[in-house]
Amino acid sequence: MVMISPLSASFLPLPLAVLLLGGGTLPLIGLLAEKTGLRRLRELWAIAFSALNLISIYLLYQELRASPGRVIVSSLLGSPPLAGCFEIDTLGVYMAGCVALLGFLAVVYSYHYMEEESRLTEFYTLVLLMMAGMTGVALAGDFFTLFVFWEMMGISSYVLVAFLKYRWGPIEAGFKYLIMSATGSAFLLLSMSLIYGMSGTLNFAYLSASLRGVEPSPWLLLLLATLIVGFGVKSAIVPFHTWLPDAHPEAPGPISALLSGIVIETGLYALMRVTYLTFTPSVYRSVFAALAVITMTVANIMALLQNDLKRLLAYSSISQIGYMLIGLSTGTAYGLMGSLLHILNHSLMKGLAFLAAGNITHQTGMRDIEKLRGVGRMMPYTMLSLSISLLGLGGVPATNGFISKFILFSSAIGAGMPILAVAGVLNSALSMAYYLRVMKNFISTPEGEFEAEEAPALMVAVNLLMALLILLLGLWPQPAIRYADAASRMLVEGLGRYIQAVVGR
Amino acid sequence: MNALIPYLVSVFLLLLIGLGCLMMKRDMIRMLIGLEILFNAANLNFVALSLSRAGFVDPLGQSIVMMAIVLDGCVIAVGLAMVLNAYKHYGTLDVRKLRRLRW
Repeated sequence: MVMISPLSASFLPLPLAVLLLGGGTLPLIGLLAEKTGLRRLRELWAIAFSALNLISIYLLYQELRASPGRVIVSSLLGSPPLAGCFEIDTLGVYMAGCVALLGFLAVVYSYHYMEEESRLTEFYTLVLLMMAGMTGVALAGDFFTLFVFWEMMGISSYVLVAFLKYRWGPIEAGFKYLIMSATGSAFLLLSMSLIYGMSGTLNFAYLSASLRGVEPSPWLLLLLATLIVGFGVKSAIVPFHTWLPDAHPEAPGPISALLSGIVIETGLYALMRVTYLTFTPSVYRSVFAALAVITMTVANIMALLQNDLKRLLAYSSISQIGYMLIGLSTGTAYGLMGSLLHILNHSLMKGLAFLAAGNITHQTGMRDIEKLRGVGRMMPYTMLSLSISLLGLGGVPATNGFISKFILFSSAIGAGMPILAVAGVLNSALSMAYYLRVMKNFISTPEGEFEAEEAPALMVAVNLLMALLILLLGLWPQPAIRYADAASRMLVEGLGRYIQAVVGR
Repeated sequence: MNALIPYLVSVFLLLLIGLGCLMMKRDMIRMLIGLEILFNAANLNFVALSLSRAGFVDPLGQSIVMMAIVLDGCVIAVGLAMVLNAYKHYGTLDVRKLRRLRW
């Protein structure tokens, strides 16, 4: 079953090795750039390595597609893989692919967006390390490897949120983010220790073999609760969401796009993987269903009250996490496929929305929706891509948001939870209220005291490319659906094979 | 199993103390100390459970605690750097003064 190939026999999985190499060498390149005066060297280095990451994910995907259902196991400490091992399957590569795609686009976008700032060496190093952390979470084969990369992603993102430290907003938001998110990490460590106490191992395959299907005891329920707190803080499920509307708007534009587009989804992915491997869905269904409804409703109502563009988009991210939780709570392959598809689509849509908002703040220095009345007439291309992403987030047909929401809601009906579908549809209608308000304000006649020009060509080009991808995946969704379907089947139906690949070595 | 009970009780108490510290303290450095107490509750749980495996001390749990301590240290270091910046801006360590972000 498990073959060692040139791609996987290396010490680390290839995408991870690429990102860590890029992030590790960037300080040296930064020094070189300062010495020689080739100031753009850092940006080009970061762009090159994130492009290489995308290519290496593609190679890994090709290799996995050649023999469906294969799991590549690479362990740092020999076999049996107790700790420090990676188990690469279709699901992990799917998630790492989402990270690589949005990461590449955000790094290219930063080329112009960040050019006025100082300390760019630190910025690009942290971005590459944050991407490496997310890729590591996606490919991890045991809980402890997941935790190490989880902290790597966390620490880089705390610093990136507080990156513009000459203003008061980022510092406040960064400190709040750090305290809440690190509390979540502490609960994650506690849940790891509970798993270790119950099964004696942290390897996903072994713990799934020993814990899944056991009669729910108080200890198992405590484990579920600590897991939900631990992952829920990072993925902003509603009772634990209060850091997100502060942290995401205060970060620089491309970082907001990365944080909202993929970091919180990485939390959701880890929650999906660990809970599915440890529990049968009947244990956690009702909890996740309740959390999904609360998350969607609270976030949408809060978003209606916002006047700050980026803050509105941040609340909208929380409500999208609620939609993804619908798929988790069904526990079927179809529902999980909806969640995974929505992760990809949301990373494109919310990434684009934050990048377009970044264009607007970059050119005007303002974020208030009322004051920015008429800005869309001065920045037509930005406005076009922003409108496409907002319509996509609302779930209008012909955008990719429609496809994944349709799958999510129909899976809720199929799994016998029609109340979730009703709540989802009502919430989508509610969310259109604030998306349309943004669009109406930006397109209406300018009253204002400000002048704005269209953003630099590279930034606009990234925006238009993402808008094109949104429309393309909305009109021709089969490739994405096929890929997401293979990933969710790997989790649900391939569970036995996943365990076999590791235990049977 | 009975030998574990004192450890589990102290883990629970440490958790309560850490959470209480995070909720009630106004000083940013004390909040970071509360965070450290929370992490150490989890670490203590690891060590206690690694002692209870049939007849021997499991090295896996102990080595994980070593790594986890390093990671906590990194988080606290970043937190202290942020406290330093906040102090430069506000001239105080009182977290109640950091209330300009709302809703």
